[in-house]
Amino acid sequence: MLSCLCTLTPLSVHAGEEQYIELSGELAEGRTIWIANCEGCHGYGIAGAPIPMRARDWAPRVDKPAEELYQHALQGFFGPDDTYMPARGGNDSLSDSDVIQAVNYMVALAKYYLEETENPK
Amino acid sequence: MKTRSKILFASTIGSAMTLGVAAAIANDAADTPSITPKTMADALHMVMDSDRAVYTRRIVNRLAAKEKVITASEHFEDEKALVLPAQMFRFGAEMVTERAAENPDVNFSYSLQSLWPINSQNAPKTDAEKEGLQFVVDNKGENYYTTEELGGQNYFTAIYADTAVSPVCASCHNDHVDSPRTDFKIGDVMGGVVIRIPIES
Repeated sequence: MLSCLCTLTPLSVHAGEEQYIELSGELAEGRTIWIANCEGCHGYGIAGAPIPMRARDWAPRVDKPAEELYQHALQGFFGPDDTYMPARGGNDSLSDSDVIQAVNYMVALAKYYLEETENPK
Repeated sequence: MKTRSKILFASTIGSAMTLGVAAAIANDAADTPSITPKTMADALHMVMDSDRAVYTRRIVNRLAAKEKVITASEHFEDEKALVLPAQMFRFGAEMVTERAAENPDVNFSYSLQSLWPINSQNAPKTDAEKEGLQFVVDNKGENYYTTEELGGQNYFTAIYADTAVSPVCASCHNDHVDSPRTDFKIGDVMGGVVIRIPIES
């Protein structure tokens, strides 16, 4: 039996949507699609989904050809540890264009946080 | 030669004394409370969550989704299929309940519950469970910690979000005839893992 020595404060590990920076043009639309369809896993690392706000998750990915990332998102993808990215994030109603815009936003978001990590203000 | 024997004897006695002291220190350390209930709950959850993730990825994803050599099904016995990750988790929880009942020193429990359970036995019962399950739904990425008294015993209770990690998790619940909710999607919090540890105060 343990003595209760703890402070009963919920552990906060997530800051909310303000961390998903707003960008202009097509990336603004991509952000809306990403939050509605991708953030549920990629915002928290659910099922091994790489978090774009975490530099170490995306450093090896941002330099990949965009076409490769699009194909993974459109057709689904099994990662090296048998993690599983479902096709179109599990939402079959998303068009190819929707998925590509969401990928473009996620890559832009990852590059923003990579830059922030490498050159902190 | 005589000197060498003495040195060997002294060395052996010294080693034995060192081992004895080390064993005594280890026993003291083993019996000295040094982690909080929250740390213990977080550690237990980390093990449970990691084991479940490995089963999901290395067994279910690989063999059922990727290689397609076997299926995973709720009716795994009839269909000669793999148990679902959530079922494996429940079977582990049931075994822990049985084993912990025989060993009061490790008397903790855990369960997988939901505000929208397919089986009503998995609905929250205590106020802490109800409040905690709602908290992890409303505050994604955060855990819920509290204390409660049940049957004259105080408990530290921790609740961790249980999230739909694949489209199958959501569709299985959405399509199940007994499911009270049918609009889950991947990434949604579907329930929570409740860990309960007895405490003295």
